[in-house]
Amino acid sequence: MAFVPFRYNLRSLFVRATATALTICAIGATVAVLAGMLSLQQGFATLFQERGREDVAVFLRKGATSEGESGLTREQCDILAKEVPEVERGPDGQPLASAEVFLAVRLRKFDGGETNVAIRGVQPMTFAIHGDDVRIVDGAPFQPGSDELLVGEGLLDRIANCHVGDTLRINTVTFRIVGTFAGKGGYRSEIWGDLERLSQALQRPVRSRVIAKVRAGTDLAAVQARYDADLRVQPRVETERTYLASQTGELSGRFQLLGGFLAIIMGIGAIFTGTNSMLGTIGARTHEIGILKAIGYRPWAIFASFVGEAVLLGLLGGAFGCLLVLPFQGAETGTMNQTFSEVTFAFRTTLPVLAQAITFAAVLGLVGGLFPAWRAARMTPTQALRRG
Amino acid sequence: MPWQLLWRNVLGHPVRSLLTVGAVAVAVFLVCMLQAVTSGLSRTLDAAAANRLLVQSAVSLFVDLPLAYQQKLASIPGIDAICKWQWFGGRYEQDKGGFFPQFGIDPETFLVSYPEMTVVDGDYAAFQKERTACMVGSDTATKYGWKVGQTVPITGTIFQRTDGRPWEFTVRAIYTSTSAAVDKISLYFHYDYLRESVEQGGATGPEGVGVYMLRVTPGTDPLTVQQAADALFENGPQRVQTTTEAEFNRQFISMLGDVPTLLRLIGGAVLFAIFFAVLNTMLMAGRERTRDLGIMKALGFTDRTAGLLLLAESLALCAIGAALGLLLGLLAEAPFAMMTAAFLPGFGFDRDTALLGAMVALGVGMIAGILPGLRAARLTTVDALREVG
Repeated sequence: MAFVPFRYNLRSLFVRATATALTICAIGATVAVLAGMLSLQQGFATLFQERGREDVAVFLRKGATSEGESGLTREQCDILAKEVPEVERGPDGQPLASAEVFLAVRLRKFDGGETNVAIRGVQPMTFAIHGDDVRIVDGAPFQPGSDELLVGEGLLDRIANCHVGDTLRINTVTFRIVGTFAGKGGYRSEIWGDLERLSQALQRPVRSRVIAKVRAGTDLAAVQARYDADLRVQPRVETERTYLASQTGELSGRFQLLGGFLAIIMGIGAIFTGTNSMLGTIGARTHEIGILKAIGYRPWAIFASFVGEAVLLGLLGGAFGCLLVLPFQGAETGTMNQTFSEVTFAFRTTLPVLAQAITFAAVLGLVGGLFPAWRAARMTPTQALRRG
Repeated sequence: MPWQLLWRNVLGHPVRSLLTVGAVAVAVFLVCMLQAVTSGLSRTLDAAAANRLLVQSAVSLFVDLPLAYQQKLASIPGIDAICKWQWFGGRYEQDKGGFFPQFGIDPETFLVSYPEMTVVDGDYAAFQKERTACMVGSDTATKYGWKVGQTVPITGTIFQRTDGRPWEFTVRAIYTSTSAAVDKISLYFHYDYLRESVEQGGATGPEGVGVYMLRVTPGTDPLTVQQAADALFENGPQRVQTTTEAEFNRQFISMLGDVPTLLRLIGGAVLFAIFFAVLNTMLMAGRERTRDLGIMKALGFTDRTAGLLLLAESLALCAIGAALGLLLGLLAEAPFAMMTAAFLPGFGFDRDTALLGAMVALGVGMIAGILPGLRAARLTTVDALREVG
């Protein structure tokens, strides 16, 4: 069991610095694309998961998969808010529940285009339900019954006329922006106002959903089952966390698909490059291989040595690729989510993303090194020493 | 120029040449695919007709306009025809995860307003006559093997039938399109069938019209019609936004986010990777050939020839790679167009895309060949011959 000392490989990489650097650049670019796509996906996915709560229930119309499709009448909302015993009550005995109207409205982006921004009419109890998840950071909350709006801070840099003091025309009614709120996740890309005023302005008497704080340990499936045969209302009930996670699936998957597709195709190119580089290395080092053989290293040791060198080359490329991606960290961008409304999300290069990128780089190096290493291992000492 | 030597050099290292050609081919393929998406977007916009205007809610994409708006719109001078469009959003039963759009339209004014469409199978008059008939795009018909006369079940999501069963439409016509602005995958049926079903309680769903298409008479300025339509409903109940077809399409594209920038960034990374890969190959080739170069120079070949030989080798590898990459792209075009048909009817390889791919490859070959070429040209015979291995 005698391995070729790894120092030998390290030094070789330094001796052939140009070839090493060029290969690292080529592998690095490939890894950067994969890491970039994964970072976008991460930013989008965490956006929805981080703020979903287990003790908040979301009631939609049965059969609806999102707020956009759902519809509940005013009476149905009252039944759900008041009659479900699992819903917690505030100090004044009122249920901690809020009916909401939701609509993606057209607003102008700063860059000129138009986009759909989620607008949400809420009842005052909303703030008690969300607690610290939704905080006013600038200005004041809207007065119930007034034409005032709060803007999520994620929209400030993307949507025109969204700062405190601006006015925004919704259909035929002019609303005044009175505050900015911070919220985790998708709420920070929304505009909130009074339920009654917004549903009048939008000409939408139907509510989209009811949210309610429920007692710890509530079985929401049992709550839903209780209404199975109820003629007045048949809701679909789930926790906020489940609901939000189900909203991100499609787009998240699209990022992963695109990232995977690009990584595979570019990976093939990178493997070609890696193989080429290792073949060049071995061609130039035939003499050295002969010496290694002559002093008694077994073929498998030489094979392992060159594969190890290739993996190291891949790892260096991976590290370089990660460096290329890191400057984008935190950069915000926007896209359309499943309800066709704009969500702002950040580019998030998390540790798991880096780990995946580095692993991918190591695999590229490994695959690229197999053939050249096999070639090196097969040389006989005389063959190798005679050449060059 | 000793051409024979060039080919000997390329073939002398078959594995290395193959790998380099492969890497270039992959890069050219990717660059072309990305470019096909970008140019597909602009093609869709360019192909939009100037004489069609679309009236939609100014408030939201998800709000319908009242039916009564049609009469008021018809009073605007300079309009040839009005056609209602209603997004149906249904799912085809056997279609697991796949998707194609369905719309309720007015058959009387639909086909005459869209001369880009031609019926290739069945009969438009038959479609127009039968209340529950539909007309489908040739791509969708091929995908599911639908034939004229067949009934297709579509489950409603926005419009649900009260009996809980899917909607059934009979295929009476299959159309194709010559324009990138009109896709070949949609299913069109009678708007009135949908409206009557909702009105008579056979189905639930919003009452109203998603979009009114106005066809402007030749010689009328679309802008005046546009302004007149917007002014009509300025004070509600539902404000409208009238746009040209191109602007309407642009809105949808801009909602996806900054796709062109993302694609450009990826394309840049691909170029970056391939440039270093080819440069690496050529530097290795140059170094290995130091001895040969010495012999060549001793035999009387000029410095220029020695340098050009390496440059030409680099260009040759990249050219072969480009040809291969373009071939791959052409092979992948059809399945890709199928996958993206729902949101990008303009996807496709055109001459400019192929040209871009070829130029990129040759540019890389050129730059990557210059450095080793210069080294080869500068090398003195003595130095070259003295070098060991």
